[in-house]
Amino acid sequence: MKKAFLPILTFLFFYNCDAQKAFQLAPPMLKYHSVFFKTSETVSMHFAQPGTKIFFTLNGKEPTQNGSYYNKPILIQKTFTTLKAKVFGNGFLPSETVAVTFIKDGLKIKSVQATKPDEKHPGNGPQTLFDNEGGMPNSQSNNFMGYQTDSVIINVSLEKKQKINSVFLDFLRDYGSWVFLPQSIRVYYFDDIKNEFQFLAEKEIAADSSQQSSATVFEILNANKKVLSNKIKIVLKPLSSILAWHPGKGQRGWMFIDEIKIY
Amino acid sequence: MKRRNFIKNTSLGMAALMVKPGFPFAQDTILGQGNKRYRIDTHWSHADVAKYPVNDCHEMVQDKKGRILLLTNETHNNVLIYNKKGKILDSWGHEYPGAHGLTLFDENGTEVLFICDNKRHQVIKTTIDGRVLMVLDYPKETGQYAKADEYIPTETAITPKGDIYVADGYGKDFIMHYDASGKLINYFGGRGTEEKHLLNAHGVCLDFRNGGEPVLIVTSRQQNAFKRYNLAGEFINTISLPGAWVCRPVIKGDYLYSAVLQTNSRQWQHSGFVTILDKDYKVVSNLAGSEPTYANDKLDEMYQTIKCFSYPHDVCIDDEENLYIAQWNSDKVYPYKLTPVV
Repeated sequence: MKKAFLPILTFLFFYNCDAQKAFQLAPPMLKYHSVFFKTSETVSMHFAQPGTKIFFTLNGKEPTQNGSYYNKPILIQKTFTTLKAKVFGNGFLPSETVAVTFIKDGLKIKSVQATKPDEKHPGNGPQTLFDNEGGMPNSQSNNFMGYQTDSVIINVSLEKKQKINSVFLDFLRDYGSWVFLPQSIRVYYFDDIKNEFQFLAEKEIAADSSQQSSATVFEILNANKKVLSNKIKIVLKPLSSILAWHPGKGQRGWMFIDEIKIY
Repeated sequence: MKRRNFIKNTSLGMAALMVKPGFPFAQDTILGQGNKRYRIDTHWSHADVAKYPVNDCHEMVQDKKGRILLLTNETHNNVLIYNKKGKILDSWGHEYPGAHGLTLFDENGTEVLFICDNKRHQVIKTTIDGRVLMVLDYPKETGQYAKADEYIPTETAITPKGDIYVADGYGKDFIMHYDASGKLINYFGGRGTEEKHLLNAHGVCLDFRNGGEPVLIVTSRQQNAFKRYNLAGEFINTISLPGAWVCRPVIKGDYLYSAVLQTNSRQWQHSGFVTILDKDYKVVSNLAGSEPTYANDKLDEMYQTIKCFSYPHDVCIDDEENLYIAQWNSDKVYPYKLTPVV
C-alpha cells in the first residue's frame, strides 16, 4: 500500500515542476456611445469566452463572484456612476477590473470661448467642450482640443445666473503621445456687482510617472463659497517642462481637453 | 497519528488536489472554438538564451526537412533552426538588424528564403543556410520613393514561376511586383481613401484554395482587414475583421491563419490573439480570442479573452497541423507551440 503513494508523489512533483502558470482572463469589452450623457446612457459588455461571467458593480466597490453578473445592457442615469467590471471563469485567473465613470450633464451652457487649439487638434471647435461626446482615450479623436501653449483660457457662459457648486474638466493622459494633464487649473466666476472675475478654486497637478496606460482623467474643483453667476473663466497651464522620467524631458507637454461641466 | 497513516492521508489529500486542482494550470487551457482547438506549450523552445538569444520573434516557416525556421531581429543569430520538439539544430545570420518578413519558396526543388529587412530597407533572397542570392533595393523606378528610408518592406509572396510581391507595410503601403530576376513589373495599393487602398500593408500571401489563378491576400492592419487583388494588382474585395490587427495571412490546407497583434479596443496593452478563417474567409476560431459570431453576415467585433499571448506576430503551421506562434515586443520570449485537440 505504502509503495503506491510514491509514484503519485513523484508524479505530482514533476506535474507541478513542469506546470505553466494559469492564464489570466482579459478584461471585458465595454461598448457605449460616450461617457457624457444628457438623460441616460446604455452600456453593453462583451466577453465571448464560454465558462466565464462578467461581474460588475455600480457603487464603486470591487466586483466579486458574489455580486451581480452581466446579462443585459445597463442603463446609467445618475450624475456620476462608476461602472466596474471584471471577468471570472473556472481554470483562469480573474481579469483585471475595468472602471469607467459616466457623467451626466450639468448646468445648461449657452456658449464657450476658448484659446485657439493647435491646428492639428482643433476638435470640433469650442462646441467640443460641451457636446456630451467623448471620454475615450483616443488622441486622434475629434472629441479633444489639443494645446501645446503656455496657457489656455476658457470662458463659459451659462444660460442663466445660477448657484455654482463645482467645475468639472475632462482631460486625456497619454504619455506615449506626450499628452499630460495640465500642471495647474484656476477657476474664476463673474461677479456682476463688482463687474469683474473673482477667484473660485484652484488645483495643482503633478504628472504621475506610475500611470502608464492612456486614459481620460477628470478633475473636479469645488467652490468653497456660495456663488451665483452666469460666467465662469478657466485658466489652464499645460505642463511647461516634461519631467526626467519621460523621453520628452525638458520640453513642453501637450494638453488635450474634451469636456467641461458646471454643477 | 502513525507516520504511515499521515503519509496515507496526505497523499490522498494531494491526489484529491490533482483531480480538482486548487489552482488551474495553463496546459489545461484549451484555446479556440469548433474543430480548431489547441493546447498550448509556452516552454516549447529548449534554446539556451545565452547561446541563442532572440529579440522580436517576427516570423516562422517550416522547410521540407520538417525543420522550423525562426526569423528574429537579434543579429547574434537572425535565423534559428529548430526541430519540431523545440531543439535548436542550427543558426545563422548577423546582418539583418531589421529582420521582419520570412518567406520560403521552392525554386525548382531547392528551397530559398526571402527576408524583408525594415532597417536595411531591402529584400534579401538567400539559400536555406543563409548565402545571399539577390538583394532588392528600394523601388525608385516606381517614382513613389525619394530615398531608401521611405521604403520599409515587411513581407513577400512568391508565385510558382518566381514572381515576387513585396508589401511595403511600414513605408508607403504599396505592393511591388517583380519578376523572378528582380525587375519591377508593376506596383499597386498605397494609401488613400478608396477601398483598394491600404493602411499598414503588413503581410501578403497567395491563395490557391479555389483552383485556377491564385489570388493575392494583402493585410491592411490598421483597417483591421485583408484585401484581395488579382495578380495584376486589381482590387477584388475586402475581408473585414473588426477589432483585429491582423499580421500576415498564412494558408495551410483549407484554412487561413493569422496572428492578431492586438485588439483594437485595447491598443498597446498586450491584447493579441490568433484568428483562423475557413475557405470562405469566415472566422471559425479565435485562439485566446472571442468566439466569432456573425449578425446578418457581418462579423461582430473581436477581442482578446485570454492573456496567453502579448503581441503575436506570426503563425507557422507544420506538417502535423501544430502551430508555432512568434511574438513581437513580448519580453524576448521564444515561440510557443500549439497542438490540435482532437
